[in-house]
Amino acid sequence: MIAFAARRLGWALVTAFIASIVAFLLFWTIPNVDPSYFLGGAEHGTDATRAQATEKYGLDDPLPVQYVRLMEAIFSGDVECFYGCGSLRSAFLEALPITFWLVGGAALIAIATGVALALVCVRYRGRWQDRVISTVATAAYSVPSLVLAALLWGFLAYKWRLFPEAGYVGLTENPLEWFWHLLLPWVAAALPFAGAYVQVVRASLLAAVDEEWVRTARAKGLPEKKVIRRHVLRNGLIAPANIWGLDFSHAFGGFALYVEVIFGVPGIGLLTSETLGSLDLPPIVGLAIYLALVVVLASAVVDVIVASLDPRIRRPGLPT
Amino acid sequence: MTTVATVSEPARSTSPGALALRRLRRDREALAFGVLLALVVVPLFAAPLYASHVAGTTPQENHLTDELVIDAKRMYVVSLDGVPIGPTWRRAYFVGADENGRDLMVRLLYGGRSSLLMGAGALGLTVLFAVPLALIAGYFRGRTDSVISRLLDLVWSFPALLVGFLLASAINLAGARIGPLTIEPGSKLIPVTVIGLVYVPYIARPLRGQVLALREQRFIEAARACGLGPVRVMASEMLPHLWTTILVLVPLLFSNAVVLESALSFLGAGVQSPEPSFGTLIAAGLNNVVLSPHLLLVPSIALVLLVLSLSGLAEGLRRALNPHGTPAVHLGRGQ
Repeated sequence: MIAFAARRLGWALVTAFIASIVAFLLFWTIPNVDPSYFLGGAEHGTDATRAQATEKYGLDDPLPVQYVRLMEAIFSGDVECFYGCGSLRSAFLEALPITFWLVGGAALIAIATGVALALVCVRYRGRWQDRVISTVATAAYSVPSLVLAALLWGFLAYKWRLFPEAGYVGLTENPLEWFWHLLLPWVAAALPFAGAYVQVVRASLLAAVDEEWVRTARAKGLPEKKVIRRHVLRNGLIAPANIWGLDFSHAFGGFALYVEVIFGVPGIGLLTSETLGSLDLPPIVGLAIYLALVVVLASAVVDVIVASLDPRIRRPGLPT
Repeated sequence: MTTVATVSEPARSTSPGALALRRLRRDREALAFGVLLALVVVPLFAAPLYASHVAGTTPQENHLTDELVIDAKRMYVVSLDGVPIGPTWRRAYFVGADENGRDLMVRLLYGGRSSLLMGAGALGLTVLFAVPLALIAGYFRGRTDSVISRLLDLVWSFPALLVGFLLASAINLAGARIGPLTIEPGSKLIPVTVIGLVYVPYIARPLRGQVLALREQRFIEAARACGLGPVRVMASEMLPHLWTTILVLVPLLFSNAVVLESALSFLGAGVQSPEPSFGTLIAAGLNNVVLSPHLLLVPSIALVLLVLSLSGLAEGLRRALNPHGTPAVHLGRGQ
């Protein structure tokens, strides 16, 4: 188990390292962004200021040298921005827990709803309850988070002022306000996932219900509740758990981006979108690398958790 | 008593494709989604016709000072305090105008059409990359496979939206030159390329697994014993077995690609602003929702209808082609 965890984390770090090189090359080979632009005063970017900027930021150095220098700056926390910015690392660390609450809460809502409704579907397999839930789930899955977030914010928060228009309140400061600020973002993010999870979990549970061990469990006289909880759920939730893991790690660079932009939640999504808008290359690369780290670490942690539930996954070889 | 089947004529076998088609024809739910999709898509492709013959304007044409006569009442397209007209349910401004007096219906149709075309282009690109990569990785195995697989894993482990956002922002700043192909900043080819590349692992990974299994089959061995080269084996022996998977995955990813494109455009990394697309229309609608809610509602409803019909039809296709499989609903929408 520990070997698996170590291997998984190692692979995560390799992934993040490669991603950092790609991000660096992607943005460092952009010719149009000129660090001398704001050095020249009124006449932006003269030859003299360009030379000054090249000198100051060492832009003539070989790319590997610049890469190492930038990585050092990113991890020590003081990225020197071309156009000026605060400490990127502290901004990121401040925003991260907010996004974590957003993503974690949405994941919890989506998974709980998905499993609960899927259980109802399995219980009433083929009857009208099953059909209604499946249809509603398909419909929910087809409403993109983007649209849902836009509609919820546009009407409930912005037009009718029923919910806060923007911002965030810490959980420890005021739990009620915290909940109130995150409620709509949670709903917007979770609903399509819940719809998808109902279908995925339903299919997986239906496959498990027909297994022989379930019949055996019934035959030996276990109460239905125990059969479902111990035998059907335990086996039927393994495949969905892998999907949840992937979705959870992807959420940090997925719906967090636009949900936070729309609801004005000051998490890493909003930070990313603002930073990318600034066209300031060092913090953009820095942020890309921080995000890459969060995504690969989240997915590694989730994989280790899933593997601890299912010993069959802990096979040697790189996890895929 | 045993019944003996009297064989008077050779049993006619039905090809898997014909079977799938029959299942699809009998699947009322899939057919309903198909009809819905047609109802959405046909008007989108008739956008220029609608613009010139019904609405009599273009997606970019401003009508800030125009007046309309509705029920013998004269109305401004954009009122003096800047509020655009809501749905008129008439030929012009069927669902209203935007703050520049542009006909929203015309913009919506044009935007939807370009979203569809971009999704199709992106998916074409994905298949173009994913199928050869999967075939090569699965066929040659060994080092080739591990290089390709690691590469796919790398892209796959990052959310499609983030990768797309970063890539599109970078290309939007500087443009890109890929061989003879040049992509200008602000071009619609940027979201197409980015989405196309991001989705490669979602098709290549399952296909690679299938190729690995196919490779061990007798008929592949026979083909190789006959002296067929790797390319011939891959193209004429393996590829026909992969179509089912491709046909199940592509429509699903297509609906996701439309959503991803609108998210990118919403964030300003896809289609650029005056150009209509679902993302830019929703972004514009958000700013004006207080006084003109139709600007937000109309593109939102249109996008939901499109995604609903696409994913419903995709799931119907899956049921027809792979009736015993699990619903493949969840495939990196980039969320």
